[in-house]
Amino acid sequence: MTCGSDGGLERMLLERVTVLGNERVTEGVGLVVLEAPRVARGVRPGQFVHLRIAEGRDFILRRPFSVHRASGERLEILYQVLGVGTRALSLAERGEEMDLIGPLGHGWEMPDTLSHALLVCGGLGSAPMGMLAIELAEKGVAVTVAQGASTAGRLVARELFADVARRHEIATDDGSAGERGFVTALVEPLVAQDRPDIVYVCGPEPMERIVAAQAATAGVPCQVSLERLMGCGIGACLSCVVSTVHGQKRACVDGPVFNAEEVLWASAEIPPKY
Amino acid sequence: MNHTVDMRVRLGSLELRNPVVTASGTFASGREYAGFVELERLGAIVTKGVSLHPWAGNASPRIAETASGMLNSIGLQNPGVEAFCASDLVWLATRDVPVIVNISGHSVAEYVAVAERLEAEAVVSALEVNISCPNVDEGGMAFGTSRSAAAEVTRAVRSATRKPLIVKLTPNVTDITEIARAVEAEGADGVSLINTLLGMAIDTDTFHPKLARAVGGLSGPAVKPVAVRMVWQVASAVSIPVIGMGGIATAEDAVEFMLAGATAVAVGTANFVDPTATMRITEGLEAFCLKRGIGRVAELTGAVRL
Repeated sequence: MTCGSDGGLERMLLERVTVLGNERVTEGVGLVVLEAPRVARGVRPGQFVHLRIAEGRDFILRRPFSVHRASGERLEILYQVLGVGTRALSLAERGEEMDLIGPLGHGWEMPDTLSHALLVCGGLGSAPMGMLAIELAEKGVAVTVAQGASTAGRLVARELFADVARRHEIATDDGSAGERGFVTALVEPLVAQDRPDIVYVCGPEPMERIVAAQAATAGVPCQVSLERLMGCGIGACLSCVVSTVHGQKRACVDGPVFNAEEVLWASAEIPPKY
Repeated sequence: MNHTVDMRVRLGSLELRNPVVTASGTFASGREYAGFVELERLGAIVTKGVSLHPWAGNASPRIAETASGMLNSIGLQNPGVEAFCASDLVWLATRDVPVIVNISGHSVAEYVAVAERLEAEAVVSALEVNISCPNVDEGGMAFGTSRSAAAEVTRAVRSATRKPLIVKLTPNVTDITEIARAVEAEGADGVSLINTLLGMAIDTDTFHPKLARAVGGLSGPAVKPVAVRMVWQVASAVSIPVIGMGGIATAEDAVEFMLAGATAVAVGTANFVDPTATMRITEGLEAFCLKRGIGRVAELTGAVRL
């Protein structure tokens, strides 16, 4: 692991960035491409950036977004339009400037000994998994992706996973692609057949909790990316705490990726409406 | 025409190299900001509140954004004064910046015990007594909304410390000047204000409050006019220095608080928006004075023309 909380603190920086493109991916979901030379170079899979979408608006806080892909000087961010901030982001045009703090947080751990990884994502949980799937595949790790969404059109990053994964299984609520039902139903047979050394999961928290339990039952280590409302994004304000067996941790610097076995799942964590 | 500005200000016996300090709870002990800010260029670091025993803080969600501001109900999560001394103060001792430790308690005895524990710590330049946190059930704001309770805490902590003593006041009162006068009479060397305004926001999809604790403290630019008004009222009512805060995001905001009567100013929520905010505001304050031919920044204090 390259990025413990202390190491991450030393490397984070404030960078002025330019919008290179911003397109609609599916209903309510967009992909913004930013020119961010310094952060793009340093970011690791599972880390995030804290984006100041626009100055002079009546909302003041930054928004945290996991990095979907980074290549050269470009960062790709997938976002769902849920609140005033993401709505403003959806209107950002090519050439517009913003600033961000990054790279932030503790990303996915990728031990050198991995030979087979299972990535489980639901909805926009595919956002922090693009870079992960690409890097794992480049390292020669066999990647299986289990992807779930409400309907075929909302399988965000489906093509990317189809390209890099050795196996790509899909579940949709309406059966319009793959199996009808939840992605969690795919996990048990995949763990049994593919015998992964690790399970990575990102999606709605109830789904993450189920997958974490499935991995634990199978005796496979599981890493989970959690979402919390954040204030500062750098560890100072204690807004984004996660209850763990080691006490309260900060999603921004101790996470957003945690070992699933250390997480004390809340009964009803409300998803942030950024 | 001046070509330099004397940026020094005095809070009782404590001299600051400039008037810009951090607002408690928005800057931790400074470590997280060290990559963005030259801490040695701050007037002082005011630490996150510390209590006698570890406090777990409140349930999540702990923050909610509102128009031009935010609500928080962190609940003074902190590891307790022993852990604070062993970790934060040891680190702060390596930095050349005055340290003002914000202290909290569930009871007068707990405030006193924290002050006593910090008395021998040479790195601590001053104490800020938090009698204004709206996010804890016992203590906190309860001490700051009653003249007699505010006086009692101040008297008790005063007798436990020789360090400069600042009392942080809540705006959630009918007349803040009464509280300010009460703590001045008990020996406070300064007052800081305002802490957050008690507020609430409700999610219209779920019908639940946006904060797990239902209510929390409002901060950010939304509260600034209330804060400027209260700083002006308090500065007119007491003779001890006032540290003004509440929505400061620009150098002009800082000037406004000083004109209203503040000797020093604290930057809070703006640190979340721009981690370099304290530096930007300090530089802007100096530039403002240069441009206006003001030789000493302290000349701004109370200079509002009525």
